[in-house]
Amino acid sequence: MQHEIIARSAASAAQIQLADGETVTCEIGSMIAMSSDINVETTSFERGSKKPGMLKSIKRMFVGESWFLNHFTAIQADQTLLIGPQQLGDIICHPLRTTALIVQGGSWLASTDGIEIDATFQGLGNALFSGEGIFWIKCTGSGDLFLNSFGAIYEVEVDGEYTVDTGHIVAYEETLEFKVGKSNASVIGSLLGGEGLVCKFTGSGKLYCQSHNPQSFGRALGPKLNPR
Amino acid sequence: MQSEIRNRPSFANIKVNLGPGDKILAEAGSMASMSSSINIATRWNGGVFKALAKRFFANESFFINEFTAANDGELVLTQTFPGDIECFELTGNTMYLQPGAFLACEPGISLGLGWAGIASYVGREGLFRLKVSGTGKVWFGGYGGIFEKEVEADYVVDTGHLIAYDPTIGIKMGLAGGLFSSFFSGEGLVTRVKGPGKIYLQSRSLDGLAAWTNSHL
Repeated sequence: MQHEIIARSAASAAQIQLADGETVTCEIGSMIAMSSDINVETTSFERGSKKPGMLKSIKRMFVGESWFLNHFTAIQADQTLLIGPQQLGDIICHPLRTTALIVQGGSWLASTDGIEIDATFQGLGNALFSGEGIFWIKCTGSGDLFLNSFGAIYEVEVDGEYTVDTGHIVAYEETLEFKVGKSNASVIGSLLGGEGLVCKFTGSGKLYCQSHNPQSFGRALGPKLNPR
Repeated sequence: MQSEIRNRPSFANIKVNLGPGDKILAEAGSMASMSSSINIATRWNGGVFKALAKRFFANESFFINEFTAANDGELVLTQTFPGDIECFELTGNTMYLQPGAFLACEPGISLGLGWAGIASYVGREGLFRLKVSGTGKVWFGGYGGIFEKEVEADYVVDTGHLIAYDPTIGIKMGLAGGLFSSFFSGEGLVTRVKGPGKIYLQSRSLDGLAAWTNSHL
């Protein structure tokens, strides 16, 4: 399987080349275009996992993803699949190997065969204050993982400590962990400085951040919109 | 201190590499991520009264954050909406920024409030403008792409698209054309800019997006 991310960073789409028999599992509604010899199957569970996981589907809905998943399987050689999210933003491909990746709910776009996705809980404090959802998606296994964001995605190699503003996390390797804390040394400063709470990462591993924050954009545009 | 504007023009953000003791001032809420060797201190945006004035008249925050690096570290700054970011370097001269455009500056820059005039207010460019002066770099952003233009004599800009300009620039409001075409061309009022001097324009405006979105709701 080969891939290319086109039209970065504002209007990204992932162009995936599939050989005969290869499968990609995608978020519902993410297909933009595809070759005619690709078989589409919609299930509530991942291919490979034998039992239809009702619990996993329910958990997936909490993560902000859909109950169903689409599986695209090439039934001929050299098939092309073009996928992208609904909103403006960036896409990256993360080669998943041994270290699991924890993905912010809503940022998961697609994964190749051999990757298992499941919802995880990152602690009550993080759930309430990180500016992300309550549940996160844990991706394990080996394969390629496609993630999307609002804003451009940048990668940070964390070794030690690193701070991310709430609402800017896309994904991080399991070797990292974070705690929500105040941005300034002083409480007053944290509140007044507009940064408020931040996510403080520790450990060593890869971290993906998004350059823009959908909630801030909503607060800038929202007051200018007419009530419905 | 080294800086780079990345992901231009749609999702521009500033990556700053700070050395020990380096400082940068940024608009409240603009930090996206940073190394833990950087400390944030929050202070009034130039004294209590000035901060209040800037909040109400120039659409800037009450507070400004001062980032100081204890050791080498990186800082990523961003704006609330998608769009481009530009930087200019002042060497003792002054520039004017439109309300809300300011993002960050080096410590040698002072931020003041300048009266922009009734004409500017009528043109929805704000009654006041932010006056940046001193020595150092200033970063500012807009919704859409940012481009600069040297104005020699007269130039016409649609309202809401001007984001920064030299103090030598004079601003007047005017009709886009005759009375009929001004009302029916969709241009309405325009800003008449008188040079010589440099201006920065944004290719879209947030009010334009809001108007377009409203028509689809």
